[in-house]
Amino acid sequence: MELAATSGSVNLMETKPKIALFQCQWCLYSESDQYWVDNNLPPSIHLTKVSCTGRIDPLHILNAIQGGADGIMISGCLPEKCHFKEGNLSALRQHEEFINLLDYIGYERERIRFVWLDLQDRGRIQQELADFEVTLTKLGSENALVTRIETPVGRLND
Amino acid sequence: MTDLIIKLKTEIKRLFNENIVDVVIAFKKEDSPLRPQPAFFRPNDSLEDLEYNSLCQNNLANYLTKYPHETRIGIVVRGCESRSVNALVVEKQHPRENLYLIGVPCQGIVDFRKLVYQTGEEISGYSENQDEITVIFKGKEYKFDRQSVLHDSCFRCVHPNPVNADVLIGEPLPEGDSSIVRKSVESFEALTKEERYAWFRHEAERCIHCYACREACPMCYCTECFVDHDPPRWTESSVSPAGTQAWHIIRAFHQAGRCTSCGACERACPMDIKMTYMTDKLNEDMLKLYNFESGMDDKTQPPFSSFNLDDKNRFVA
Amino acid sequence: MMHILEKKKLNQILTGWAEKYEVFAPQKVENYSQFLPFTDTSELTLDEPHNTRLPPKALFFPQSEVMLKYNSRRHKLEEVEFAPKPRILYGIRPCDAKAVTLLDTVFDTEENRDPYWKARREATTLIGFGCTNPPQTCFCTTVGSGPFNHDGLDAIQTELDDAFFIEVLTEKAKKLFEGLPTATEEQEKQIHTKQDEAYKSMTPAFETKGLKQKLDLIFESSYWESISESCLGCGICTFLCPTCFCFDIVDEVQRKERIRNWDTCMFRIYSQEASGHNPRPSRKERTRQRLMHKYSYWLDHIGEIGCTGCGRCVRYCPVGLDIRAMLRTASTLESEVVHA
Repeated sequence: MELAATSGSVNLMETKPKIALFQCQWCLYSESDQYWVDNNLPPSIHLTKVSCTGRIDPLHILNAIQGGADGIMISGCLPEKCHFKEGNLSALRQHEEFINLLDYIGYERERIRFVWLDLQDRGRIQQELADFEVTLTKLGSENALVTRIETPVGRLND
Repeated sequence: MTDLIIKLKTEIKRLFNENIVDVVIAFKKEDSPLRPQPAFFRPNDSLEDLEYNSLCQNNLANYLTKYPHETRIGIVVRGCESRSVNALVVEKQHPRENLYLIGVPCQGIVDFRKLVYQTGEEISGYSENQDEITVIFKGKEYKFDRQSVLHDSCFRCVHPNPVNADVLIGEPLPEGDSSIVRKSVESFEALTKEERYAWFRHEAERCIHCYACREACPMCYCTECFVDHDPPRWTESSVSPAGTQAWHIIRAFHQAGRCTSCGACERACPMDIKMTYMTDKLNEDMLKLYNFESGMDDKTQPPFSSFNLDDKNRFVA
Repeated sequence: MMHILEKKKLNQILTGWAEKYEVFAPQKVENYSQFLPFTDTSELTLDEPHNTRLPPKALFFPQSEVMLKYNSRRHKLEEVEFAPKPRILYGIRPCDAKAVTLLDTVFDTEENRDPYWKARREATTLIGFGCTNPPQTCFCTTVGSGPFNHDGLDAIQTELDDAFFIEVLTEKAKKLFEGLPTATEEQEKQIHTKQDEAYKSMTPAFETKGLKQKLDLIFESSYWESISESCLGCGICTFLCPTCFCFDIVDEVQRKERIRNWDTCMFRIYSQEASGHNPRPSRKERTRQRLMHKYSYWLDHIGEIGCTGCGRCVRYCPVGLDIRAMLRTASTLESEVVHA
């Protein structure tokens, strides 16, 4: 099964980039921010709310990438402000290294972004997402690792 | 019978006579001289079939997790194997006081497939010394330079000597050159991202999900592997690119801070898939970022089991 | 009557066939050979003494196959279009062809007729390649097959000097070799001699007479513990085996497809039940199961040993377990009395 050659960073995207947003349920203190994320998220952004960023496993990130996400954003609370005390720190090293590994096999590290939000930050989530969209548009669409497509019928071990 | 085997037998007999261990894990001869098998000797078993040479290609630390913690296990280990044992002790998979490590410095594992490709299957005899491998194929003798038939993962070996062994049988060997693996990681990184992904895809697409890599790896001892978890299914079990690539990426990633680069995964793979290039990168990062090398002692916790507020990270705050 | 196909004309013949059929032939992949579609850049590996690494059962029973798709928005099931083109499987070894006939007794019976299997079988012509230099890991003659056995083949070819000599065995293959020169009586004698030599070069690996009865008798023996101690419990022997047929059907919800995948009795979860109970809880039961299935239960089902001696499990087992050695030892054991 041959995937089309990756477009690299030259082509700009015609449609909005698809973003998978993993959002900690505690990090948006402002009610208007929370309301916006729950109800007014643009259709190009797919929300998964988690109890803490420490819950996020590389498997989830990879699953989103395979399903066609052009970028992954993980938003959580600042260290020492975590609702579960150290939850957002425990997975820190793993996420960092996972991005290194994905970059090593050809999935650009700029496509995965972590954002720690402070309690005082209002409107920050919209700003970060808009910023991320610009970055992803510049990077172009990605074919590497986007493999969750239909299995052709009657195939061999190929 | 080589000098090494004589010394091993003496030590194993002593361990049983002095009631130090309940079982000794080593290798034994089988019909084909190319395939010594892991062996499990118990008190009163004959040691006649004990075998130990460079064709012993399995990481014996793999079997430690199959025994209850009370079992006192003697195990013959080389460099990377002993580090796997230490890594398992750190992860509390077997108490160190119930382990007796018989250390053997390693000259590198000979890839029996390389021998077969050069001659053929009908190899009836095998002998070796430090530099040369000799096989008898269809009655004739063939000699090979050891380096030419060494298994690929042994070229990057840095620690051929057992770490933390209770007894050492054989003379220690010089440490390897750690720049070899660093250079190979750097040269892969120097490729374009399209080339890197193309290589990854090319290797992964041969996978048939036999999971021999997982079963041969001493660090893969989970009673439920992530591929078997259902629901939710995070990875597919089909041989589609999604399922196969997710398997390779996540299994490699689960070895970060735990892998000792023994190469047992590649030796077990029936489709000749290369996968150690990923764990090489992870091991290099663990060294660079956290100054950690797995299995160098049986106490230091691996990097992912802790955190430090000074950790380098690109988190946007 | 034998036809002669000169080696230098082989590519031409295969290319001619490829106009009407999908032709599969053993080709080089990395360090081994595999059945792949024949193209003009194919590197054929017919000179290898042993068979392909992956068994050709994959061409009738793919490792992953979509059975149906569902459209969750419209709450509909979608049928998967399935109409295999006529195919030629060129260069299949007699052990693998016999294995395909054994699998017919599983996939194509009165009670169970697998339409995917049946359609592919009917669309395929099997041109066999006999083994003139059987490697020492093969043991087809021990289990009722042989390096030039005809079971399952539509034609079989023997290599001699710079040509292949083909015996057409069924109507299906007849038209493929029309127009080729025929061999002389002298040449046919040479071929038969070569085939006999190949048979004679293989020594019996173990005694099959009384083997089933002995295995049944030693079912509870502690011998099974000793051989399962080194077994890793991976799927290599089962996936590379041409007669293993177990499968698992999963609904891949993220793909909205129902897929059938090869499964293996060597995995712990294979026999794990929803309650948590596992009738084969340890490696001992699972390793024993494989041997018992091939050499005892298959005989209960259809009266034939479920193994064709292809040698793959011997060659590729990561810990070097050899089924022939295991059976030899098993046949010398006395049954252990199990005390209540």
